[in-house]
Amino acid sequence: MSFVSVSDLHINLGEFYLNGVSFDLDRGDYLAIIGPTGSGKTILLESIVGFWIPDKGAIHLEGRDITTELPEKREIGIVYQDYALLPHFTVYKNIEYGLKKKNPHGMKEKIHDIASSLYIDHLLHRKPGTLSGGEQQRVALARSLVVEPKMLLMDEPFSALDPQTRRDTRNLLKKAIAERNTTVMHVTHDLTDAWTLASKVAVIREGKLLQFDSLEEVFTRPRTSFIAGFVGATLMEGTVVSQDNGVSLVNINGFTMRTIDTADVGATVKLAVRPEDIIVGTEPSPNTSAQNHICATVSKILYEGKTSLLSLYAGETPFNVLVTNHSLERLRLTPGDTVYAMIKSANVRIVN
Amino acid sequence: MQAVITKRRSGRFNSFKAILIVISFLVTILLVLAIGALFMVPDMADVWESLKSDEMIYSLKLSLWTGLLSTALVALFALPIGYTLSRFEFFGKSFVKTIIDLPVAFPELVLGLCLLLLFGNTFVGKIFSAVGLNFVFTRQGIVAAQFFTALPYASRIMKSTFDYIDPRMEFVSRSLGYSMFETFMHVSLPLARNGILASTVIAFARCIGTFGTVLILAGGTYMKTEVLPMTLYLNISYGNMGMALTSGILLMIVSFVAIYVFEQTEVSL
Repeated sequence: MSFVSVSDLHINLGEFYLNGVSFDLDRGDYLAIIGPTGSGKTILLESIVGFWIPDKGAIHLEGRDITTELPEKREIGIVYQDYALLPHFTVYKNIEYGLKKKNPHGMKEKIHDIASSLYIDHLLHRKPGTLSGGEQQRVALARSLVVEPKMLLMDEPFSALDPQTRRDTRNLLKKAIAERNTTVMHVTHDLTDAWTLASKVAVIREGKLLQFDSLEEVFTRPRTSFIAGFVGATLMEGTVVSQDNGVSLVNINGFTMRTIDTADVGATVKLAVRPEDIIVGTEPSPNTSAQNHICATVSKILYEGKTSLLSLYAGETPFNVLVTNHSLERLRLTPGDTVYAMIKSANVRIVN
Repeated sequence: MQAVITKRRSGRFNSFKAILIVISFLVTILLVLAIGALFMVPDMADVWESLKSDEMIYSLKLSLWTGLLSTALVALFALPIGYTLSRFEFFGKSFVKTIIDLPVAFPELVLGLCLLLLFGNTFVGKIFSAVGLNFVFTRQGIVAAQFFTALPYASRIMKSTFDYIDPRMEFVSRSLGYSMFETFMHVSLPLARNGILASTVIAFARCIGTFGTVLILAGGTYMKTEVLPMTLYLNISYGNMGMALTSGILLMIVSFVAIYVFEQTEVSL
């Protein structure tokens, strides 16, 4: 029996809808829900916490059917992007609010405990309106976590924060979650949230669950071209020329790629390659385990913090490679240079 | 820098802008003169005498008592109606909204006539009179007339007040174990405090000032159903300017205080 089970969820609120969403989570799982704006991510969270009754389908928590149960009975916490703190209460009272209802014994201690672990103990007497975004979000987290909910739902909790605060808050959250073994569903459009926090990923688009898998599976093996594009992989279209020993040979407009995925010979397929899975060199080195060696031209170099994204062209086909700035310096690459790209066939995936 | 930009934006003389400003001032000045006339024209000794007359004291007392009672009733209904219209989707919502709002655009006299017919000889009227409530040509009728005239204004303010309160605060409260009612008491109501104050003040001003509805339903009987607007109307018909002006001044003071308090609450209509 899984901890949370969402089965065949249908809900229609006009502009936002869900269309047959099903997945299961185990206790302690951290699910990142990603998808474009308006895809129904928030509706999914709000159905699970109990603010909408689905038209069809069921939600089970610890084997109990909670589909139509009142939100106040579910013991599921929710954290919003804009914090939704009660402005007429102090920070202390905000954190105390849920605890007072659930378990008023030893409140003071619990509040001070959570406040010090989220570094808000110096803010307890203040009103939320006087706090910074990051501080408000830590208060909102404290308020939800202090009642020890069975599950914590978060709707883009970090998107209103600046990058540094976002990193810090993410780390604090990670620690707090790990200490309590809380099961989490986290709606985000920042892939870093998924990379750093999630164990599982769900991709939603137009009310449908496109993919639900482990983090690695979704990022390395996107099931649709939409997901591949969304998680940042390069897509190349080609024709399957042959199959040999579990390796398919795909012809892509002038060069061939080998992949461990199989498809019918003659079929047109799309290949997905993650930018970080490609190695580039300034000289051909055929004696490696990589099965794909492609000669390409550097067209553009985009600096992104510690890494750079190289835009390459193999003939007419563009693809991206992620390298550290250190390597870039060592190779002395400039636009117009010829490079040799190496890709393991296991990192080339056929997407649906 | 700011000044330079303003100057450039204004540019040279702009006749369109100038005409609009002149129109705004024209009406404002006329209104200020009209309001000022109420305080300038009468002989203050006359006003003082009128203020001490039995009729004025009766009228002022009756206005305050009926006004306070009606306002309390309006607040009692406007709060749930405003919350319902702001938060819930239900069958017939737009019907309820339209009908409750209707008196805003309705001539007061017609509203009074409708209420007179309803509370007259229909079975609704009989139900009310069975529990001792007779609205036709009585002081109870004043309260009924004021209630229906002021309710749409108050419930509109309450609705827009709740529209401005993020429903997600209520969601969070419920996820923390509080029922819908407890959430309303702990979250929605305290956050709506200014809106409640604003709607109450506006409702009181409307109640005190209601004339047409009261005249038709409760009648304008001397020293019986005589509220301040009725005193103004009756005395101006007799040519008794001192009494008319005094009730006008009293009504104006109520309006000024109401608008002042309303502005302080920073609620948008």
